Amino acid sequence: MTTSAGSGTKPDVLRGAPAGGRRRRVAPAARYIIPLVVGLAAILLADAMGRSLANQGTELLLLALLALSWNVIGGYGGLFSLGHQVFVGVGGYALIVILSHTDLPLPLVLITAALLSALTGVVLGYPMLRLRGPYFAIGTLGVALAVLAWMLNWPFTKASQSYPLPMSDSLGFTELFQLTVAIAVLALLAITALVSSPLGLRLVALRDDEFGAASLGVRRVRTLLPVWAVSGFLAGLVGALFALQQGSLTPTSAFSIQFVLDAIVVCVIGGVGTLYGPLIGAVVVFALRQYTADFGEWAMLIEALVVILVVRLAPEGLWGIFGRLIRALRRGRPAGAVPQKEGTS
Amino acid sequence: MQLIIDGLLTGGLYAATALGLSLVFGTLRMVNLAHGELLMVGAYLTSVLVVALGADPLLLAIPAAIVLGALAYPVQRFVLTPIMARNADAPVTATFGISVAVQSVLLLLFTSNPRSLPAPYATASVEVFGVTVRVALLIATAIGVALVIGLHLLLTRTGFGNRVRAAAGDSVAAGLVGIDVNRTFAMVFAIAAAVAAIGGSLIAVTYSVSPSGGTSWLVIAFTVVVIGGLGSIRGTLAGALILGVVQTVGVAFVGAQYRDIIVFGLLVVILLIRPQGLFTKAQRV
Repeated sequence: MTTSAGSGTKPDVLRGAPAGGRRRRVAPAARYIIPLVVGLAAILLADAMGRSLANQGTELLLLALLALSWNVIGGYGGLFSLGHQVFVGVGGYALIVILSHTDLPLPLVLITAALLSALTGVVLGYPMLRLRGPYFAIGTLGVALAVLAWMLNWPFTKASQSYPLPMSDSLGFTELFQLTVAIAVLALLAITALVSSPLGLRLVALRDDEFGAASLGVRRVRTLLPVWAVSGFLAGLVGALFALQQGSLTPTSAFSIQFVLDAIVVCVIGGVGTLYGPLIGAVVVFALRQYTADFGEWAMLIEALVVILVVRLAPEGLWGIFGRLIRALRRGRPAGAVPQKEGTS
Repeated sequence: MQLIIDGLLTGGLYAATALGLSLVFGTLRMVNLAHGELLMVGAYLTSVLVVALGADPLLLAIPAAIVLGALAYPVQRFVLTPIMARNADAPVTATFGISVAVQSVLLLLFTSNPRSLPAPYATASVEVFGVTVRVALLIATAIGVALVIGLHLLLTRTGFGNRVRAAAGDSVAAGLVGIDVNRTFAMVFAIAAAVAAIGGSLIAVTYSVSPSGGTSWLVIAFTVVVIGGLGSIRGTLAGALILGVVQTVGVAFVGAQYRDIIVFGLLVVILLIRPQGLFTKAQRV
């Protein structure tokens, strides 16, 4: 992706690349079809899965969705957010508050909650997105801690007390799983489209070489703001689904720093700034947690040590290692095989 | 008047806790997201020594500082410095990982209950010039100011300080003139950790510490460093005093439950208006 910013129309033609040129601009159809098919299959099979498996599936997908959301800004945008729990909390509380006060249908409420979360992102983005590197990280962390302190004292959301979801609006495990699958698939497709769009290319250009991008006319805040809002929208969906799954929220559960910790751990292990890294990372972390569930804090320690090891030894994450292996295997094949470009960056 | 004095003394404690972050930020150009955990580990180390030896906590903070420094040295040498060379933003992820790892170790060893260091002067207060002050804060301020002066002198008046500043300014050139940059950086990190251990012990004497308590201290320390300006040890003291006064006066007006919001709000405002700090020349952040 780093080189694709400069590959306009001409160089590919000159090189006579067979299909590579088009592939880099627009993601191939398989990237859209495969997730759709897998998602549909999961939705159809949900009834046969049983309640506990469906609930586990929901948890896994929420972890993946959260990581996908963080990866948009933290991976492709290169901005290390430590404040994503704000989006989660806003989405969750918005859903519960709206459902408690109105009779609107659930899908509409879900979208409204996510939109409110995205709006929060826009409001916070104007000041925050001017910051770079560690300033952004600690700035967002400060905002998140301030919001949590505020929520603990805000009577409208019952301050530090638990805010229950209305009973009539709670979903069964299977239905919630199906809803989560649908949202996760749509989110993945949206991100697939986003990262190969002009906006996505500007985003990556800004991350890799801010001066270079700026000299080509890429405006920093104007590029980052919509992406930050998309990230906030997705994290808001995570919060709304989390509220549906939990049945009630407290400020410390909905605005927990654990959300952003999870997102970062998953993204780093899977591969920061890669399309499928967050998915692989979510599966690995989720599986690890199933095995270490009996050891409590040990799970977090192991995850953190893995994160340090990955950053030190394999900064491209599992998906990057995977991609390197595939490319190494391809290179071993006889000439004439179609060179497959991995769209990872 | 009472408020201002209280604020200045709180600021003195903040200076002691932010100094390690400031040193690493200024010389290694790296924000240590695990700084809050360094403070907490320092406090817990001191607490273990207090249980074992039964001496005064602030006396035992010194061996705790040495132990934490020794633990921190290899972390910088073998984990962080190699990462720094690769990418300016990678240490952020790495120190984040360290922060989570340390938090879980503390949770495993000491449970999530807050803990404070018992000392005869921890809750005592004295009257100075008609103003009542907590003795613990007075001691914290004295130690904080002493640490600031000591570090400033170390960096500006010694051969080691010259090497640190040379390595910070241009690590390649410093390497060419025979400075072992890797060891210098690791030493800086170890000193920062040692200072943090003392700062953390002061926190535990004055307030309390918990395994997850480092996060908000990180933000406080970062706010102090940002107000004071990148890399300025003296600016850190000024920033800490300003934050202490603003916070104490603010709490008096809006109530103690908004204590955190004042700090974080001030951080956001400063980042927006003057992200390079109040006392340093303009630069991009």
